[in-house]
Amino acid sequence: MITLLLLEFRKLLGSRSAKLALIVTFLLPLIWAFAPRLSALIQVNMISGWQLPAVSIGVTIQYLLPLFIAVTVAETIGSETAQGTLAPLLLRPVDRTKVIASKLIAALVFPFLLIITTVAGSLLAGIPLGFGTFTGGTGLGPGLFVGVGELSGGEAFGQVLRGAFLSGVVLMPVAALSLLFGVLFLNTAASALATFATLIVMRLLVVLPEAIQRILLTSHFGIYVQQGDIGQPLILLLIYTLGFGLMAIYAFDRRDV
Amino acid sequence: MTKQGAPAIPAIEVRGLNKKYGNHSVLEEIFLNVRPGEVYALTGPNGTGKTTLIRCMTGLAFPTDGEIRLMGRDVHTDGARARAFLGAVVEAPAKFYTQFTGNQNLQIHANLSAMAPGGRKVPRERLREVLALLELTRMADRKVQEYSLGQRQRLGVASAILADPKVLILDEPTSGLDPLGIGLIHRIVTSMATDGCAVVLSTHHLREIATYAHTVGILTGGRLVDTVDLRARQAAYRFRVDDPVGAAAVLERLPFVRKVSTRTPFAIAHLGGEARVPDALARLSEEGIRVFEASPDHFDLYEYYRERVEKA
Repeated sequence: MITLLLLEFRKLLGSRSAKLALIVTFLLPLIWAFAPRLSALIQVNMISGWQLPAVSIGVTIQYLLPLFIAVTVAETIGSETAQGTLAPLLLRPVDRTKVIASKLIAALVFPFLLIITTVAGSLLAGIPLGFGTFTGGTGLGPGLFVGVGELSGGEAFGQVLRGAFLSGVVLMPVAALSLLFGVLFLNTAASALATFATLIVMRLLVVLPEAIQRILLTSHFGIYVQQGDIGQPLILLLIYTLGFGLMAIYAFDRRDV
Repeated sequence: MTKQGAPAIPAIEVRGLNKKYGNHSVLEEIFLNVRPGEVYALTGPNGTGKTTLIRCMTGLAFPTDGEIRLMGRDVHTDGARARAFLGAVVEAPAKFYTQFTGNQNLQIHANLSAMAPGGRKVPRERLREVLALLELTRMADRKVQEYSLGQRQRLGVASAILADPKVLILDEPTSGLDPLGIGLIHRIVTSMATDGCAVVLSTHHLREIATYAHTVGILTGGRLVDTVDLRARQAAYRFRVDDPVGAAAVLERLPFVRKVSTRTPFAIAHLGGEARVPDALARLSEEGIRVFEASPDHFDLYEYYRERVEKA
């Protein structure tokens, strides 16, 4: 399994879409350092470098990050099919379940890699603002950017870590969904489009009763800033991830390649 | 080469294979056995299901009905164990990760081969050995994207034989190769078969395959319409004589002669081996039959194939 996992990570990080996604998510936050109208647009006066990760995640988590994840994860199956490298892999004495499970693990780690580069880029951009104690909030903790009083550097770092981790968790179902479509379509473009279309359709379902909204994946894209008990939405996101992942494994196990 | 009649468990066993895509039937009732040491060539017109059959045999595609066993293990329900014995190239040219070197690609396959239940690590020397065997040593550290089609195909065969398989399945292995490359693949396939490996290959090069395959399966319209045992065919010798009918009668009485026919001016006899030719000549001479020439009666697979496909 380790052999397969290493191979999957090697391929994932070697793919053009993954490299592009990692570069863009790292460089994009640097714009905040040279963006004089940022405070006006988000209506928050930026006073600390700890506030920039929340800005970056907030701007990208709805569309850009899901798009990068959908394309890159779909490519883990689609490009292998297009290049014909999936068949030689399956000719080896390896369980299909292990092959797809290693792809799933790599896919689920990818959102966290994107969040890490986003946060790293944001902190780099935040250097001019400094990382000391400040009055206000990180945008990822209680009171969001307004905060609840004075916040030390250590506390702010903790809030950024929590927010970043939860952002990764939020994006995991997107990765699992993209892998499922990848298995079903064996084509990068079709799978990425299907993933993105599913997310957009889910967003449009706000017209449905609140009880249904509560179980929609897209209704919980904001839990990385939620405080208090987030157990229920977290469990729902994990169910989505597990469900899509298991469906991908089941579909791949009997799929002609 | 396996001795005729020697009992051996089939290395590849296809039983009642049917494959449908929707309502369209691609393969129908395929039964096929390949013994250890046998070279089985699968041929037929384009679009008759050769590649689908190979994909089913390697476990890449799932049959609608029927089963396929490699070394006694079902390739679809016990895939990992069955494929522990398998080396295969299912596309021409063989496909690799183009961003990695030939050596790195082989190392990936070596690592995956070692994942077989009870599988052993493939040593680095073996990688060097197969690269040298396929004349790719110079290209080993170059990225596969720099390889020509022929070099990729040879790398495919190198990858297939890497873990000393007991079953070798190759889809059009000589596609894109130059004459020297074709000769190289022939030598490797023959050598693997001599060592007891069962080989299945699909090909359109009938005259080429007739020189080293033992059995030829003719697939047309998704059905295996004929299986030709080339060993039996090649055991025939023809004698140009003054009286073919008389010669046939004499030859028929010999205990080692299995089948006799005439094709004026020849009497044709299945002798069971070259060593029997002097005995047959001596007997013909004793019976007063004048023999002007004795030679192997080469079976024209191409002509046979053409006839068989036209009739199917």
